[in-house]
Amino acid sequence: MVLPPVAVVAVFIGFPVGTAIAYTLGKVGGPNSTIALIAQRQHVAHHGVTTAAYREVLGNPHVRTDLYATIWVTLVAVACVVVLSWAIALYLRLSDSWIARVVSALSVIPLFIPVVIASYAILTFYAATGFMRTLAYHVGWHSFPTLGYTLTAVVIGLVWVNVPFGVLMMSSGLNSVPNALIEAARDSGASLPRTVRSVLFPMNVIPTVIVATFTGIYCLGSFTVPYLTGPSAPNLLGVSMQQFFGSFNQPQQAEVMAMIVFVLAVGIGTIYVWANVRAAKRASSTS
Amino acid sequence: MSAVEHQGTVLGELRQAELPVVAANRRRGPAAVKNASVKLLGAVVVTILLVFMVGPLVWLMLRAFSGLWQFPQFLPSTWTVQWWRSVFDDKNLAHSIKLSFEFAPVVTILSAVICLPAAYAFSRFNFPGRRVLLISLFATNAFPKIGLYVSMAGVFYTLNLMGTFMGVVIVQLIGTIVFMTWIPTAAFSAIPRSLEEAARDVGAGPLRVFFRVTFPLAAPGILVAMILSFLAAFDEAQGTFLVGIPNYITMPTEMYTLVLNYPEQAAAVFSILLAIPSVILMSFARRHVMGGRLAEGFQIR
Repeated sequence: MVLPPVAVVAVFIGFPVGTAIAYTLGKVGGPNSTIALIAQRQHVAHHGVTTAAYREVLGNPHVRTDLYATIWVTLVAVACVVVLSWAIALYLRLSDSWIARVVSALSVIPLFIPVVIASYAILTFYAATGFMRTLAYHVGWHSFPTLGYTLTAVVIGLVWVNVPFGVLMMSSGLNSVPNALIEAARDSGASLPRTVRSVLFPMNVIPTVIVATFTGIYCLGSFTVPYLTGPSAPNLLGVSMQQFFGSFNQPQQAEVMAMIVFVLAVGIGTIYVWANVRAAKRASSTS
Repeated sequence: MSAVEHQGTVLGELRQAELPVVAANRRRGPAAVKNASVKLLGAVVVTILLVFMVGPLVWLMLRAFSGLWQFPQFLPSTWTVQWWRSVFDDKNLAHSIKLSFEFAPVVTILSAVICLPAAYAFSRFNFPGRRVLLISLFATNAFPKIGLYVSMAGVFYTLNLMGTFMGVVIVQLIGTIVFMTWIPTAAFSAIPRSLEEAARDVGAGPLRVFFRVTFPLAAPGILVAMILSFLAAFDEAQGTFLVGIPNYITMPTEMYTLVLNYPEQAAAVFSILLAIPSVILMSFARRHVMGGRLAEGFQIR
């Protein structure tokens, strides 16, 4: 029963990733022969493997800037998503006013909106003639920066897209903290920040890790948001991959970048798996 | 309707019996903290949400109806619906809308057929390598899509899938597998085995147990998975573009062209059209998505 999806993943993801690894190491035969026919600036290994493609790509200063931009944007976006979704989820956990119900509805809006549209909406909102500049102009801040086509806009877009998932995960985590625990802490005189730090935070670590890792992996490989809202250069590696493949006709170089992103994503994924396995072990040892 | 409600109460009672803590939290009341800092947090959160999340969408809406709109005015000085007319009159755009509605349902159903049995197996049988397989499905997310599509093209050329309907379906399908496996797995796992065993004891066969007990209880989770898969397929642009061109240009693929080549207002109109199905579907599933179905799916057990 498990076979069909595993087979689909193996044939259409596992196999291509395998051939891609071989291709980046200079293997141009077999499944790579079609793409090798049309590729420019290819590094071919005649015996064994060659790391020439990796050396070329990592030696390219533009690619290195893109790599730093990717890491930087990912870190900032993850930090913003974690903080923002924590704040929203915390508010939803502690308040039962009608405002909380409005907040819970508003915070999942991006789930409803396709990413292409979100990116476009964000681009126009922060453009030279967008709302933010208009508002700043009316309050007398005439030099408010145009954020459209900057890495800041990319961060804003990525945060926008990832907040609903963050809020859903964090809310689910915080809702499993028993009311009695919060009340006990409050009754024994703990202030609200203290209650959050000593009671709610320790019990919401796993959801926080899940939000951070999934957002991180999403940002590293993202294309649509940086492509539509970001600058021409430096931009995220997802966009450069597209350029190297589509515009420069250098699929091997594009694949090398994909490998770099993949290695980073696997690093993040390991944290996710480790946190989950640890939580599962703990759950089975207590019950 | 009453059947649905009935299932709801059955599930509710189960939860209460099994996890009294969670059930008690359903009634939020007592732990709601009346405190100035909570109010301040609320004010900050609402402001950020209104400006940051809702603002761009409202701004886009205005643009779709704007004639003349000069900086630094908050509203357009003239209004028009001409952009709506020009979008509806464009044959390419109408065709891409139709295509999108053909692909997404096919992909969703195919994905359900492939993944739901697996989800059931993942939740009910503890076979060796179970966790490794669940996590390996997650690798579909970790490898950047463009890199994947570039090398997938090789496989597609060999299998003669380039520029075909099936090729596009496969490209969209691989984006849905994680949702379609993980979320239903959690949904099946949430159903106590004792319930299935009870049905067996009173003489129901395995199929009858599945369709009368297991499936109805897991249905909300499966619904969430199907809607997320539909949206994932509906929104997929990159792979569809690489594989489908020139025969199959779907709505989101068309959107890239629009953003880059058309007047801003036309792109705004098209954006609104593209968002309609998502909004309708998500508002159906909102209660279940918010109820933790999605969150449960992302914790591997």
